[in-house]
Amino acid sequence: MASTSLTVRNPSGLHARPLALFVRTAGPFGASIRVRNLDRDPERQADAKSILALMTLGVSNGHRIEVTAEGPDAEAAVAALRAAVEAGLGETLSEAPSESRHEPRSETPAASRDEPPSGGSS
Amino acid sequence: MLASAAPVGIVVVSHSRRLAEGVAELAAQMADPSVRIVAVGGAADGSLGTDPDGIVAGLQAADAGAGVIVVADIGSAVLAAETALELLGDGLAERVRISRGPVVEAAVVAAVQASIGQSLEEVLAAADEAATMDKGVAR
Repeated sequence: MASTSLTVRNPSGLHARPLALFVRTAGPFGASIRVRNLDRDPERQADAKSILALMTLGVSNGHRIEVTAEGPDAEAAVAALRAAVEAGLGETLSEAPSESRHEPRSETPAASRDEPPSGGSS
Repeated sequence: MLASAAPVGIVVVSHSRRLAEGVAELAAQMADPSVRIVAVGGAADGSLGTDPDGIVAGLQAADAGAGVIVVADIGSAVLAAETALELLGDGLAERVRISRGPVVEAAVVAAVQASIGQSLEEVLAAADEAATMDKGVAR
């Protein structure tokens, strides 16, 4: 069994379009994969391969979800779903809340989240 | 659950060509490109209505071997789909299922579930259940 919890940063939460990508990411794995919304109703589990079931979780921006998989490829399934959610499921993500967001960032770079270099490559 | 072959196809039947095309466009945005989604809208002369012959052609185009789910709008759209099944009259008709779900929701849900290789009966069950989709309306 493999499990991970992560915070959703999609501006409108996990609505149909990002969930469609979530299901399509989960689909190829043989593992049984369940998702819970830790901030709404942690008792309720949804099948990660059913868009209707996932919609009932009501995952909004900022909610934490838990993804649990059982089966031979459980680890890979959880890793793939984590990567997909962190990449935004096809959407541009909201800023992560951070206390240091409006402070000068030169002082404690190690403590803040990763920021792209101001120059950028493009 | 995981099919190795082609995915289930989808035919969107509406009285309006533009509505059918719009629903198919929406569903395709959520689906794997391998899922065949075909819009059949309007009567043969282009007016509002349904066209069993057009649905027959749509079913043939949407089937990749795993069968087809029909999602229809209101009233005679389902009747026209049933007439199309009678016109087909051979092997393909046996792997066509008409969903009871509302056309937009059923098309989207069927497209997603077909994308992960679910069987005809699994996709049908999901499309039927699409009527229960929570729209998240606060009230």
